[in-house]
Amino acid sequence: MTAMEESPSSAAQTAPVTENGPSDPSKQQQPEQQENHENPQKPNPNATPSARSQIPRRDRFNHQSLGPSLNSTVKQARVLMVGAGGIGCELLKNLVLSGFGEIHIVDLDTIDLSNLNRQFLFRQEHIKKSKALVAKDAAQKFNPNVQIVAHHANIKDAQFTVSWFRDFKLVFNALDNLEARRHVNKMCLAADIPLIESGTTGFNGQVQVIKKGVTACYDCTPKETPKSFPVCTIRSTPSQPIHCIVWGKSYLLNEMFAHEIEELKKESDALKKIRNAVGAPDFPKLLFEKVFDADIERLRSVEDMWKSKRAPEPLRYEKLLIKTNELDGSKDSILADGQKVWSLEENLVVFKDSLERLSKRIIELKKTKDAAAPDPVIVFDKDDDDTLDFVASSANIRSTIFGIERKSRFDIKQMAGNIIPAIATTNAIVAGLCVLQSYKVLKGDYSQAKEVFLTPFGSARLMAPDRAREPNADCPVCGVFNATVTVDPAQTTLNDIVEGLLRTHLGFGEKEFVLNNEIGVLYDPDETENLPKKLVDLGIKDGSFLTVVDEDDEHPLVNVVLNIEEGALSNDAIKFKSSTAAQPAIPQKPKKAPQVEANGHSAGESNGIVEIDSQSKGVKRQHTEDGGQPLKKAKTGGASSDDVVVIEDAGGAIIIGDD
Amino acid sequence: MEQPPAPAPQSTEAPVKQQQNPQTTGPAPQMAPNGLGPMDLPQIPNPTLMDPEAMAAILPTQSFIPDPSMMAIPMPDPHMMAMPLMMANGNTPAAPAQPKEISADDIALYDRQIRLWGVAAQAKIQSANVLLITMRALANEIAKNLVLAGIGSLTILDDTIVTEADLGAQFFLAGVENPVGQNRAQAAHPAIQKLNPRVQVHIDAEGVKSKGPSYFAGFDVVIATDLDSDSFNLINTATRLNGRKFYGASTHGMYGFLFSDLIEHDYVIEREVGNIATQPKQETRTRSIIDVKTRKEGTKNMESVTKRELFSTWFLASDMAGLPEEYTKSKRRLKSVTPALSCLRALWEFTQVKSGQVPSNREDLKMFTQIATQKHKALGLPSETLSSEFLRSFLQNLGSEIAPVSAILGGQLAQDVINVLGQKEQPIQNMIILDGNTMESLMYPLHPEGALGTLQLSLASNEPLIPNGGAGGDVMMGVGMDGIPFDPTAMAAMPIPDGFPMGGAMIPPGISMPIIPGQIVPVLGQQPANGTGEHLPTPDASIVAGLPAGTAPPSQPSAAPNATSAQSQGQPQGESEPPKGSST
Repeated sequence: MTAMEESPSSAAQTAPVTENGPSDPSKQQQPEQQENHENPQKPNPNATPSARSQIPRRDRFNHQSLGPSLNSTVKQARVLMVGAGGIGCELLKNLVLSGFGEIHIVDLDTIDLSNLNRQFLFRQEHIKKSKALVAKDAAQKFNPNVQIVAHHANIKDAQFTVSWFRDFKLVFNALDNLEARRHVNKMCLAADIPLIESGTTGFNGQVQVIKKGVTACYDCTPKETPKSFPVCTIRSTPSQPIHCIVWGKSYLLNEMFAHEIEELKKESDALKKIRNAVGAPDFPKLLFEKVFDADIERLRSVEDMWKSKRAPEPLRYEKLLIKTNELDGSKDSILADGQKVWSLEENLVVFKDSLERLSKRIIELKKTKDAAAPDPVIVFDKDDDDTLDFVASSANIRSTIFGIERKSRFDIKQMAGNIIPAIATTNAIVAGLCVLQSYKVLKGDYSQAKEVFLTPFGSARLMAPDRAREPNADCPVCGVFNATVTVDPAQTTLNDIVEGLLRTHLGFGEKEFVLNNEIGVLYDPDETENLPKKLVDLGIKDGSFLTVVDEDDEHPLVNVVLNIEEGALSNDAIKFKSSTAAQPAIPQKPKKAPQVEANGHSAGESNGIVEIDSQSKGVKRQHTEDGGQPLKKAKTGGASSDDVVVIEDAGGAIIIGDD
Repeated sequence: MEQPPAPAPQSTEAPVKQQQNPQTTGPAPQMAPNGLGPMDLPQIPNPTLMDPEAMAAILPTQSFIPDPSMMAIPMPDPHMMAMPLMMANGNTPAAPAQPKEISADDIALYDRQIRLWGVAAQAKIQSANVLLITMRALANEIAKNLVLAGIGSLTILDDTIVTEADLGAQFFLAGVENPVGQNRAQAAHPAIQKLNPRVQVHIDAEGVKSKGPSYFAGFDVVIATDLDSDSFNLINTATRLNGRKFYGASTHGMYGFLFSDLIEHDYVIEREVGNIATQPKQETRTRSIIDVKTRKEGTKNMESVTKRELFSTWFLASDMAGLPEEYTKSKRRLKSVTPALSCLRALWEFTQVKSGQVPSNREDLKMFTQIATQKHKALGLPSETLSSEFLRSFLQNLGSEIAPVSAILGGQLAQDVINVLGQKEQPIQNMIILDGNTMESLMYPLHPEGALGTLQLSLASNEPLIPNGGAGGDVMMGVGMDGIPFDPTAMAAMPIPDGFPMGGAMIPPGISMPIIPGQIVPVLGQQPANGTGEHLPTPDASIVAGLPAGTAPPSQPSAAPNATSAQSQGQPQGESEPPKGSST
């Protein structure tokens, strides 16, 4: 089954000979197609007259439509697919059916019930299992001639080095978060391996080809940052449901069941007392009276705040509790209807009940924990009903106090969990496009590789293929010179890198420059004490990246990004081995244009589409396809990245993230 | 326009009524094995709850059936034919069954899509019965997408046998032991059912031509894939007769198309009120705003805009209909029209003449090129956009199916079906042409002049233009009775001689039409019920009498289009691949 890896030239003939029927009449018509399809038994580059009949019958249509040359390239291609979720399942199916020779899948995630409406390789019985492994097993059946290797791992793990990436012909991103996308983007640029990047949101989707120096990379355009809210809005002056949801999720739940937030600590002494009452019969009452009554009274007393807006109205616990007795439905019937917008009384029922459930859990966790282990915590998880019910009910109670509309638990789950709507069809379309793009890449035909956006309800087309954008010369990620150096971190010193590699080999000479790693400055002309140190002592190891910033005022070179690889050096005298030829032509930085950050880009957002003005002044763009045509850019899953809420305050920003 | 009313009690009575009506049984319902328990299984809603007598009571007084030949149509109930006419709203003569309640389990499973289209649309989706004809790669994709979305039932109709080449892109065949030689739909069944135990997946291993028009009444949506033009026409005629929504689609390697005839379709766009109040009006030739309702939602002013799209039949759209005005008036836009449209039209015509065969020898290629050039011209397209390079590429892909193109087109088609069922979004109107090389998926509204929607049929009935219209009726005599399998080619025969304005009216002057649609009227009664797609007897000369002078009558006129011809289309013989340097 893996004959193709052993002998790339015979990749197209991996099927057993018995499959090659004697009667493919098309062979007479296709003499020109024979040359690339030698008999597997005779790995002879010269075609034999019967070669055409050696195409496995199951592959005849790929052969017919792709042509022998491209089809054979596909059969030999070793590719990586990062992510085996919505796009990944569809993409893996297409890759396997197309007969890509060897396919590696990396995914950290496990299967969830809510995946099953679109991730068709997974079933009920696979819930909680590894996506990568289940996807591999399911897709292997589609085509026995393909080798699939599954890694249940994080693509950011150290094992996936630049040189590991370099062994692929092509990388496909099928990810759902910004962070991992940026990482793979960076790795592919460093390895100089083409990357096909894709994303979907609801009916919208996009696919682009990223190739170092040829097309724009993922980071050539600034990406949306997570939503942020000023602290005072969350704490004192909410005006939208989301403000109350963030309060319930990031503040109240954490105060009671997780860590205390340092910045908010001074206010939480009273809360601390209540926290100590977790599990006590009057715990719900204490908490309610604190946050929905006393705190509100206090807020209300600041009269200046309520001159132009409705003052919040505190709630009396006992009074409300009596009213819950008049409710028609039982607690269970309330909880069963997550679509309904619960009344205030119903929310109180859920508030009490979820608090009881959470209290029981945390007490149990405390009982069973090791003495040495840190205190157990419960943090928000959209799929953890106890936390969701608590956040939903406390957000709704708070909304009622501030005269804000209440939301159903279904809607709150989406807002609190940053859930992006996702459907099978969009993923299928985008995954199909990824493979069509890969054909262009495998042919080296980058001029035909497009940046394609889905335009689901367009009047003239369902997809808008646009010429691939050129790299942004100012891009901090791809506008750099990449080099790989093999070192022995226990032997090689920083001085070997600075003097030997940079000044001598790469030709920096007497230039002034700064050498950084992810943490900070390792070397600059005034900071030389690290030079004698071994790399291992500086935390530099296999997979580390070092950045060289040229300090030249007049004609600075672009940043050089060094990818560190650990490896054997032939003898002790040699301290490093560079993959780059001596004295390479490192380009100069482009003329400094005024920095355009967010202000250059229209932030206009409607219907899930963010428009990015390609004509932003200051950004040099050679591609002037249709003059002033704005690039429509679909918002991809990037924003979905783990739900981080940034709370900015005068004193800085507090980032409250759960996990 | 309100949502189509569908009284709630109907759905509970449905199963009983269904049994009383032999027309609607179709495939025997197969209970799916599942781990979810019976309460999770959707009931089979019965979309054919119309009482024919009740329908008769509201029939227009003047007869819709002016020509006696119409009476020969093997319809179980002549009133059925009038149904499309009565529907001011194409949503349904027999309204889709009342959407079911959605359970909490459903919401958990379908969470990510309900967040996109809402619970109400999901309920409609879960009540829908869909027929999918021909189980090749494209249909694999469509079935996957619809079953994942949770439609009520999917019936797959295919009487062909799995071959080795089917394994290339038909992923539902994976894991089947010795699939080759099994029925294609049956072999795919277990894998489809496993995708979603809540969907009833039925297999019908018979040929589409064994089905009478009433068969199609049992479905809300009929999707026909990878068939020839005659077959699309037949099935679409049946869906029109029953007031059902029709999709036709095929892929050929890198190329594909999808066509829809929703007759008339109403849908509601929910949006925030803009600066200018939306008013009922005609938006395009096919689309009008028929109702606007506003309401307050929180602090926002929202409006529900009900729109209606009118459609045309395959018969009128696939060949004769020209491009809309916005194209014909703009040289730039004409230049951007994909030559695949001309090539597809040529292919549809070629297969009509050649009994479902695709071009295979040098002479065929010459003929194909000629037809394509004519089609290109007839569309008013500049000759330079139909390059020999493109023709070669198109021909090379005929009959092929590859995963990425099937995935894209199948995704687009299934999404439109879902949107149409949910009545929430603008539907495709009415032809999509996909080119996998350029990654373009272009939409062309192709409509004849004159009436659209349901009026298209009634208008036509007043203008029987074909001189020899009676001939079709003669040959149809005596075919088909209620409950007896009949040759559905009769359905194609029906509207053509009697029903549609033809002749010069639809054909741009100066364009030589080598084949006129009248030719597709097959000779009935001479075709064995399960024809093999072999050569057929020469048709009655009177039927092809409409040929323009100078066009050689086809020596092998189309047989009753059937699955066999589709199959042969799907397995191009070696010679079907164009020789190098052929075409132009």
